[in-house]
Amino acid sequence: MLESRRSVTNESRPRRHLSRAGEREARASSVDLEILVENVLNAVTAGITIGCIYGLMCIGLGLIFGIMRIVNFAQGELLMLGMFASFYLVTGGKVLSFLGPYWGPFIGAICAAPLVFAGGALLHKFLISRVSGLRTAGSLDEGHFGQLIVTLGISLILQNGGQIVFGSTPVAVRTPLSSEAFLVGPVYGGATVFLNKAKLIAFFVAILVAIVLYLTLEYTRLGKALRAAADNPTAATYMGIEVDTAYRIAFGLGAGITAVAGGLMATYISFGPFVGFDYVIIMYSGVVLGGMGSILGAFWGGLTVGFVQQFSALILPPQLQNAAIFVVFLMIVLLRPQGLFGRSAERA
Amino acid sequence: MRQGAGPLLRRNLIVLAILSVAYLVLTLFVTNSYYQLILTLVPVWALFGVSWNILSGYGGQLSFGHASFFGIGAYTVTLSVVYWGLSPWLGIVLGMILGGLAAIAIGMPTFRLRGHYFALSMLAYPLAILYVLQYLGFQEVSIPMHRQNPVAFMEFSEPRIYTLIAVCLLVVGVVISLVIENSRFGLALLAIRQNELAAEAAGINAREWKMRSLVVSGMMAAVAGGFYARVLVVVTPDSVFGMLVSAQAVVVTLFGGVASVWGPLIGAAILVPLAETLQAELGTYLPGIQGVVYGFAIIAIMLLSPDGLFWTIRDRWFRPKAAAPAPVPDLMPVSPPARRAIAQAGAPLLNVENLSRSFGGLKAVSEVSFSVAEGEILGIIGPNGAGKTTLFNVLNGVLSADEGSAQLAGQPMLGRKTFEVCRMGVGRTFQVVRSFPRLPVLDNVIVGAYGAGLSDRDAIASAARALHQVGLHEQSGVAAGQLTNKQLRLMELARALAGSPRLLLLDETLAGLGREECDSVLKVLARLREEGMTICIIEHTMHAMMRLADRFVVLDHGRVLATGLPRTVVEDTSVIEAYLGKKWLARQHA
Amino acid sequence: MLEVKDLSVAYGGLRALTGVTLSVAEGRFVTIVGSNGAGKSTLFKTISGVVPPVSGTITFRNENLLSHRASDRAHLGIAHVPEGRQVFKTLTVRENLEMGAYPKTGRTQWTQTLERIHTLFPILSERADQLAGTLSGGEQQMLAIGRGLACAPRLLMLDEPSMGLAPSVADMIFERISQIHREDGLTILLVEQRVAEALERSDHGYVLETGHIVLEGPYETLLADDRVRRSYLGLTEA
Repeated sequence: MLESRRSVTNESRPRRHLSRAGEREARASSVDLEILVENVLNAVTAGITIGCIYGLMCIGLGLIFGIMRIVNFAQGELLMLGMFASFYLVTGGKVLSFLGPYWGPFIGAICAAPLVFAGGALLHKFLISRVSGLRTAGSLDEGHFGQLIVTLGISLILQNGGQIVFGSTPVAVRTPLSSEAFLVGPVYGGATVFLNKAKLIAFFVAILVAIVLYLTLEYTRLGKALRAAADNPTAATYMGIEVDTAYRIAFGLGAGITAVAGGLMATYISFGPFVGFDYVIIMYSGVVLGGMGSILGAFWGGLTVGFVQQFSALILPPQLQNAAIFVVFLMIVLLRPQGLFGRSAERA
Repeated sequence: MRQGAGPLLRRNLIVLAILSVAYLVLTLFVTNSYYQLILTLVPVWALFGVSWNILSGYGGQLSFGHASFFGIGAYTVTLSVVYWGLSPWLGIVLGMILGGLAAIAIGMPTFRLRGHYFALSMLAYPLAILYVLQYLGFQEVSIPMHRQNPVAFMEFSEPRIYTLIAVCLLVVGVVISLVIENSRFGLALLAIRQNELAAEAAGINAREWKMRSLVVSGMMAAVAGGFYARVLVVVTPDSVFGMLVSAQAVVVTLFGGVASVWGPLIGAAILVPLAETLQAELGTYLPGIQGVVYGFAIIAIMLLSPDGLFWTIRDRWFRPKAAAPAPVPDLMPVSPPARRAIAQAGAPLLNVENLSRSFGGLKAVSEVSFSVAEGEILGIIGPNGAGKTTLFNVLNGVLSADEGSAQLAGQPMLGRKTFEVCRMGVGRTFQVVRSFPRLPVLDNVIVGAYGAGLSDRDAIASAARALHQVGLHEQSGVAAGQLTNKQLRLMELARALAGSPRLLLLDETLAGLGREECDSVLKVLARLREEGMTICIIEHTMHAMMRLADRFVVLDHGRVLATGLPRTVVEDTSVIEAYLGKKWLARQHA
Repeated sequence: MLEVKDLSVAYGGLRALTGVTLSVAEGRFVTIVGSNGAGKSTLFKTISGVVPPVSGTITFRNENLLSHRASDRAHLGIAHVPEGRQVFKTLTVRENLEMGAYPKTGRTQWTQTLERIHTLFPILSERADQLAGTLSGGEQQMLAIGRGLACAPRLLMLDEPSMGLAPSVADMIFERISQIHREDGLTILLVEQRVAEALERSDHGYVLETGHIVLEGPYETLLADDRVRRSYLGLTEA
């Protein structure tokens, strides 16, 4: 009766196959080692590239959950919206198609940000602000119960509404770059490292956006005001900062950043309206691992989780990779909830 | 059973019986097979909601992953038929057992988490199971037909029989839920949900009760899932372990009314037919319309009526009768729980030595030593931030001590959990009163008696006695949300007294009270001392303390500044300096 | 400059203030004292706009404060140094001061203001890049006061600056506050528990007890009045 469609997000890297049995016996150990090295190197590069994109994704959640302490269950859907926004800008609606298939998808990913920013700000204004911020600042659970429920509702609406609006056929932002790769090597005998071009460019864009955001938060007046409002809303009000607006902007930013990550991912995976779901736990794992309250930490956390995922692909089949992420999340939350890089200053 | 539970239970059971019969009669009029299926599914989802309600409604432990248990039930039934030829009648029972075991396995690590971390982690379990099942290749499993022996395999050609079974299962679930609600189990859960700390301070072992509620909840959810599998014949990992299934439990219960046995029934009765009908009519043009409807439903409920429809309707149209006191039983002799050592004559009841506690670099409590004789009232005073509440928190087990020791009648107090300290005979009130606004005063107070481990009969008697002691016995039936500030503080005091403590730790009991209110509370405290109670009280209202306390301990910056008789202490120069400043003294002597 | 008339406030279900009337003239140093629970912090929070009053008026330079949002007050020229300091713990010292200068008035004269803050509190310049959460209590208090000065305010309001500080540190803080009043002619409203230190430097004082003003006058009058001492140490008979 109740079904939800889930997209297939598996991806496979080219793997070298073992040669014929006879030759293999003769050169058994060195070939095995070569293959191992190649797989490991490819996992490392994939881990870094994909990890940085995850890092960007986690920065988005880090702004919302790590700094503002708002539990947003719908963050995966914001990611999904970013993917679809980019898709319609570039491929479906062809608004940006004049940029061509090489630049288009990545510019599209960045352009998805203001759209989702606006959406996030609206969500905050009408729904989320009622269960967060000054309104719930003193209560026993800081409004988390209300936030969980309201964002669960938003998540359901966006996922299923997305199914209605976008259909459930998986789509992708087409770029020829996703099937081209730079070949590095041979390294260590016959081992070759494949650097997928789309992922590589996405990686650079992700780093760029992360740096821009970091600089904005650290050095601009707006960024400092946002951090101050999240740190101590009462004191920020005393300083003349309008805390509601600050939270709205921060929420919108968090949504927009995650959307950019989504748009970048859209260039190398195919996705449907339920894709957000696969990434929610990854995002929370990353933010918690990196330590709450730290944007840098969220980035490193996301990178680490991405790394673990790519490495787990060496030994685990695709469906179990996601299960492995859950296990990682549980372990982090149980064993080291303060994360690795959290800011040491305690909150008032 | 709780006070007044008998008639309430009877009334609820009658309502339940009437509703069930009416529902079954309704099935006789429905002939369309799709709607007959909906009629069967409504009680199934309602049962699922009832199970979720036990953990997350009464207990307040929000779980986003109840699909774990539902799915375990479903797959147990299905796989046991397919591989072992086991009848679903037995398969459901087996699923129930496995659900309970899973609850224990899941609860042990996960209850170490709180709040949103708990909710998110609970989410992880069904999804992990889902991925594993997909990996193992169980994409779709169906229950085969058994033409030889249909009844043994729960196969009926008449769909109304499924509805009958579903309703029977739901009735059993509701009865269990009612029994829990009206027993100390339910009250303990409500207390934990409202304020786990205060519940622990009243002696409730939160961990144990949470685990019990999860096990009952898991078993019930597994039964619902098992029957669901039988009805639908085909299970896929997503249809029983998926996110929408977990959301179903949450949505149905929140919408209908959380922490009430009728809530999931109302929610299921409204939302399931609505969603299913929409799916059937519009499913081809608007696939996923159910999810959208559910999403809007819970957002609307959260913003407009956060506790659910049942409570809003009840509050608005069935105003609970105001201030009709429930009949408080006559004061019967109460046997005090036999566990306390008698203090040796002459030895102090409470002895604190060299207690220290720091936060980061700040010494909040520093080498504090004092003692309290039995039957004495000790006033703990000092400027703001002196460490008084921290001291209580350490004595109470809320915080650990860095150094030092404390004994109650010779028994060591430190290093124990809060509820253990309470059972030793220590009652505690907090600076901010926590009550259960919808429950009557008597229930608020009885929590303390349950915490001390008294039997049901003794608990009611003890609570009644406590209410008489503080003078609230006329308000015992009033909902706590309608009390004045003074009455709330007296109620907290009564809750602490209901556990028959030997030592009371009172934190700013007089805060915010006007002159006359202060006087009446002081009278209560003085009377308690006459009855032999030992009290340590933190207070700022100096004039009141001067009249009440036998001795003072003055704390400043975590250290003991002075101890002694009130008159002596307030003339002590170091005390004056701490409160009024050095220059004051200089001026006085100038 | 600041006029409070007949203010009544209910806070947390309690009647915190009843019929409070006081005024702070321009250039004066006014203190409000009272023991715990007297309502001092509630008064501060009401003037700051965080707690709405039940009745009464507050006017600042002939503007009705109650018609402004809480976050507007800083822009009007009222600076707050809240109870417990409330520094932004995850921001550096310099960033805290910059936040203090958030209103336009702060930004236009920023260089001079910053220099003045550094002269008064040299340690803030030494620790400019340190996280505010790692400062000691006294240093945080200095930071909070500096942050209040950063917007070049017309009125500086301080809520129990001595709370939680060792007496010698508190004395030093009071010294600085006095200095600010003397040298810059800034209007100051101080709410304090430590009676003597607070009163001896101020021009005018009010004594608050359970939500009412029970005594007011210049500091010699108050210090000589035994009622103050008794109300603090509870020696008043019922």
